[in-house]
Amino acid sequence: MDYILQGFLEGSRLLLAGDNETYTVVFTTVKVSSLSITASLLIGVPLGFLLGYFEFPGQRHIKTVVDTLLALPTVVVGLFVYAFVSRQGPLGELGLLFTIPGIAIAQTILVTPIVVSLTATAIESLDRRLRPTLVALGARGNQILLTSVMEARHGIAAAAVTAYGRAISEVGVSMMIGGNIKWHTRTITTAISLETAKGEFALGMALGMVLLLLALIVNAMLIALKKKA
Amino acid sequence: MMETTAGLPLYLVENIEYRLSEHFELRVPRLVVNRGESLGVAGPSGGGKSTLLSLLAFLDKPQRGRIMFNGHDAWYDKSDNSNKGVTHLSQEPYLLKRSVFDNVAYPLKIRGRYGSIKKKVYEALDMVGLKPNVFASRRWYELSGGEAQRVALAARLVLKPQVLILDEPTSGIDQTNALLIKEAITSFRKAYGTSLIMASHDTLWLAGATDRVIKLFDGRIVTTESANLIPGPWIKQEKELFAKKLADERLIYAVTPPHSEATGILDPSDIIIALEPPMEVSAQNILPGRISRMTAQGKERAIIVEVIVADIPLSCRVTRQGARQLGLLPGKEVWLVFKASSIRWE
Repeated sequence: MDYILQGFLEGSRLLLAGDNETYTVVFTTVKVSSLSITASLLIGVPLGFLLGYFEFPGQRHIKTVVDTLLALPTVVVGLFVYAFVSRQGPLGELGLLFTIPGIAIAQTILVTPIVVSLTATAIESLDRRLRPTLVALGARGNQILLTSVMEARHGIAAAAVTAYGRAISEVGVSMMIGGNIKWHTRTITTAISLETAKGEFALGMALGMVLLLLALIVNAMLIALKKKA
Repeated sequence: MMETTAGLPLYLVENIEYRLSEHFELRVPRLVVNRGESLGVAGPSGGGKSTLLSLLAFLDKPQRGRIMFNGHDAWYDKSDNSNKGVTHLSQEPYLLKRSVFDNVAYPLKIRGRYGSIKKKVYEALDMVGLKPNVFASRRWYELSGGEAQRVALAARLVLKPQVLILDEPTSGIDQTNALLIKEAITSFRKAYGTSLIMASHDTLWLAGATDRVIKLFDGRIVTTESANLIPGPWIKQEKELFAKKLADERLIYAVTPPHSEATGILDPSDIIIALEPPMEVSAQNILPGRISRMTAQGKERAIIVEVIVADIPLSCRVTRQGARQLGLLPGKEVWLVFKASSIRWE
């Protein structure tokens, strides 16, 4: 038990002392997940809106596929993206393997279904009185669409926060596409996995604490948003 | 524009049909609403009031027939853009997830009317009895049901519409809020001469606040008076006489309903109010009751007296002079007299 406690104390010291390696890993994680979340929102929110707002043939099937993709295993995404961006792959020339943009692309693929699905649900669950109210108030075409998005803003924000939580906590994609390169593509999750394997509990503990703190912040935001939605 | 439309009715509804479900269809062969007129729409739940109102507000399109608005076929003559002057408040209004100010300002903003927006919003809030300084910054979830209803009404009044269509504006809210809404509607009409089309279960208020009342039952306009509707079942008594049993075991007699579940229509003018049970009259129906409410009706010099007979409210029309002579007051016990043949069928 002692080494766990020691790891915890040493981890706290690293964080309080502003250890460079620890903070580089934290910043890399935040940077990668911020990139991927931005991209997934730009792609996912319009798609989710289309899926939730309009009725069209095959809509249910698409929703089923999107919902299935929610449980997409990270290693499968990693494998898939690796096949594309590795040297022999069709996108090999872009040199994305073992880079931050490479991880961000793979994470975007991983979390976009979350944004699409939760946005669609938020739009679907808008009050049925909204549309006739907007028409009665004189809104037309795009005004109706834009106001509907605004009405679902808390649900959409909750989708973003959930997706962010998934992005910061995944390990498979970061490991396979990023390669866990120190000072470069090492993220919190890949670092914890490596340090633990090496028996270096202190750094692992420190990073684990940061990850828990991030998860706590994300969850607090999610609870606050759900209350308002 | 005014010159060309001045002589035309505001609405001319011709042969409209709207099927809402397998079991319900609204049919209106003809309905005219004149400019500046105030029309009440009464009738039981599920009678088609809300459907008619949403058709008149151009929220739904009739499957057959046409609605002429200001002389134009509103659904086909897009150049007219006629529905801009019509605003509708539904039975359960929905507030946008924004502040009270932004809710009331929304219809102005989407029309690009940004000029003196604050003044207009504050005026509208004042009209519905909400202090702008207190309520403007409130969030949508910081309002009671009645306050929310008043904010929704303010969001319609702020447009100073040509036609205000209100679907049960006082249903499901407390008396104080209902009173404030009624006051706002009356004073708004007085100030701006807006045409008003309003549905309400409160038939007495409706009769007082509007120029005339139409009654909808089962998707049809059954009468253009504030008539009483007496639902079945009708049980055969003798020869052509049928009766409906009231809660106190008394009977209302009618003559040959088309079927046992038919709804009878009894004109308020066909009911005589007496202070004592009359002797030796030919009328079959002599029923005791208690006056629950009284109101002056529209522009006519008549009083509508609502009398509760067993559990059924019956509206009776008397002249002001008649009401004075009999000393009619709410709470007073009276007798209602009407012929069995006064109950008509559609």
